[in-house]
Amino acid sequence: MKLKETTNLDGRMAERTGTPVPATPPVTEGEIDLQHEEDEALVRRTQKGDQSAFDVLVGRYKDRLYATVYHMTSNHEDTNDLVQDTFIKAYKSLRGFRGQSSFYTWVYRIAVNRTINFIKRRKTRNQYSLDDLDNAIQTDPDLVELMSHVTPRREVGLTELQQKLNEAMQQLSEAHRTVVTMHDIQGMTHVDIARVMKCSEGTVRSRLFYARQQLQGLLSDYL
Amino acid sequence: MNAMNCEKVQTLFDDLSENRLDPETAARVRQHLADCTDCRVLEQRAARLQRLLALKRYERPSPEYRDGFLSEFHQRLAAETQRTPWWERAVGRIDSLLVAGTVQVWRYGLASAMGVAVVVGVMWMSVRQPDIADNITGQTASTNPSVVLANSQTVFPPSGSPDVVTTSLAATATLQAESGDYQATPTGGMDLVPAATRADDTVPRYVLDRITPASYEVSSYHF
Repeated sequence: MKLKETTNLDGRMAERTGTPVPATPPVTEGEIDLQHEEDEALVRRTQKGDQSAFDVLVGRYKDRLYATVYHMTSNHEDTNDLVQDTFIKAYKSLRGFRGQSSFYTWVYRIAVNRTINFIKRRKTRNQYSLDDLDNAIQTDPDLVELMSHVTPRREVGLTELQQKLNEAMQQLSEAHRTVVTMHDIQGMTHVDIARVMKCSEGTVRSRLFYARQQLQGLLSDYL
Repeated sequence: MNAMNCEKVQTLFDDLSENRLDPETAARVRQHLADCTDCRVLEQRAARLQRLLALKRYERPSPEYRDGFLSEFHQRLAAETQRTPWWERAVGRIDSLLVAGTVQVWRYGLASAMGVAVVVGVMWMSVRQPDIADNITGQTASTNPSVVLANSQTVFPPSGSPDVVTTSLAATATLQAESGDYQATPTGGMDLVPAATRADDTVPRYVLDRITPASYEVSSYHF
């Protein structure tokens, strides 16, 4: 397999410092090969100083981390900052990563912890900034069923529904919001959530139970 | 088959919907739901809420986020690297030169070596310090007034506390003599020279005589 030559990390940093960074360079043959590398191999290459390997990991997981953080913050700018911070923290800590969990689990945990800390520190609730909705939502059976369901709000529009969902999520405590994001939105199991949050499975179940009770009250018009 | 109570059943809604219950337990839960209207309504509302929340999966970051993420990451990382202390960067550089498998060994080895060096240093100082003090005391007894003070315990009254104070002061004076810059220093405002040694006002003239008394603890002595 032909791989791109590794470049000294500090040298690359020095080149970038103080100069405008160009847009993502065109993909070379070597980078195409890196795209097919497993996470473990990319981590090892990064640990040896090949930053282009870490760039591949960033590209691979930035959207997933964005989704997780966005469901917890409901704000574009905060989410972007937190995901950037997460990758910077991961890059700086990668020397200590021993591969006891997958890279994604590790970086996911960093993202969640940083987001929880951010929410705790944030004094006032930020303005919501709604993401775009994928057009595929129009044909989602759950949405179709919801829209056809006889409720007082059956005429609800998608944007309004999205706003109500985000507002309801922001009413939850950070711990409850996290478990709802992981379980009900992202479909993680109780065991995996417990592992990420370093708590018992019973605690996860309990938090889900109380979070849903609160959400049912907040979203009663749509249930 | 034992009947299940409502509280127990409500904790198993997730497991039932995700087919994670053993067949017998699943059958008992379904039986309870068939018999209990309250639990059935709760289960339906919980399922509907989950489907509603799952619609958030269609939220997508803007194209700008995706396009500019990597270049922004490089910029932030460069700025972060500039803020990192030089020694931390040096450690990172050395780390990157090592193969990934030995990184941890190297780091733990360095930490262990530093720990051993500190322990050996402390032991060496504790062994060496009394020797130095003895040598200096013997060499300077005839010229340095601090040594006179160190030997003055014999003329003290038989009470206990002044002896202790004198001894500690003698040690202080000896250390000052060791450093070669002996001079009068405030020592808590106590004049520790007993009356019996004041018969001759000329020599030796203890430097501590001039210090204003400030403590009642030595008020039984002549100032």
